[in-house]
Amino acid sequence: MEAHVELREFFDKDAINLDLKGETKDEVLKELIGLLNVDEKSEAILFKMLRRRENLGSTGIGRGIAIPHCRSLVVNRLRVAFGRKANGIDYDAIDNSPVHYFFLIVAPPLEVSNQYLPVLGKVAQFAKEPDVPSRLAAIQTPDEFLALLAEKAV
Amino acid sequence: MHPQLEILLQIQDLKAQRRDLTEVESERKVEEEEFRIDTEQAIRSIDEKIAELEAELTPSVRSRYERISRDRGRAVVPVINGICYGCFVSIPTALASDVRRNDEVRHCDHCGRFIYVMS
Repeated sequence: MEAHVELREFFDKDAINLDLKGETKDEVLKELIGLLNVDEKSEAILFKMLRRRENLGSTGIGRGIAIPHCRSLVVNRLRVAFGRKANGIDYDAIDNSPVHYFFLIVAPPLEVSNQYLPVLGKVAQFAKEPDVPSRLAAIQTPDEFLALLAEKAV
Repeated sequence: MHPQLEILLQIQDLKAQRRDLTEVESERKVEEEEFRIDTEQAIRSIDEKIAELEAELTPSVRSRYERISRDRGRAVVPVINGICYGCFVSIPTALASDVRRNDEVRHCDHCGRFIYVMS
């Protein structure tokens, strides 16, 4: 049975960066992983897993949004992060547009609460809302980002 | 972290990814519909990577890995708060302390799975 989830509950202010510096897919992935505050070795393993997932097909789902995701033993619970890159980067997105907004989702291979898939689905649903890209562009603080998630009630 | 343990973790992560695509219908649906990946091709690609990593295991590690995978499914499990998450039996304190640095390839004395201590 899928757990009932609300995205707002999973995002920590410390894991939100509205001014990513990376200029490439790899640099942005590393920056997003850095928001999870795991040790260096775990960061390296997460990077490899996320890169491998991207090699299967870009997680850039269009409209400037990407949802890099993977499962890994190096985390003991579901972890999420959000990053924004004002100028956008080339991410091989399915609509070939630059990606500005990144939702990172990482979960252990086995979860007691089974939250990974519902959260992945919710983020994809959130990303489809017509006004979301423009709203994400306008937010000024992590609190505003969290308020947007709450407002959309996803 | 011991390089062999790092390889084992990567293999286990890839197997989790493969399981999601092959056994979890809803996960496969999300990957195909939202991310438009070709599942069959993705599985082939994951299998190739797993085989590549398995070839990097030393004979003794590979032998245990193959035996445990065959007999118990998951060959690598985390240790959280001193508990092996493969068999849910406490790891002896000395061993739990010893593996804290993950700088050795160790296994649970009870279930035989390779263990990775969460930091």
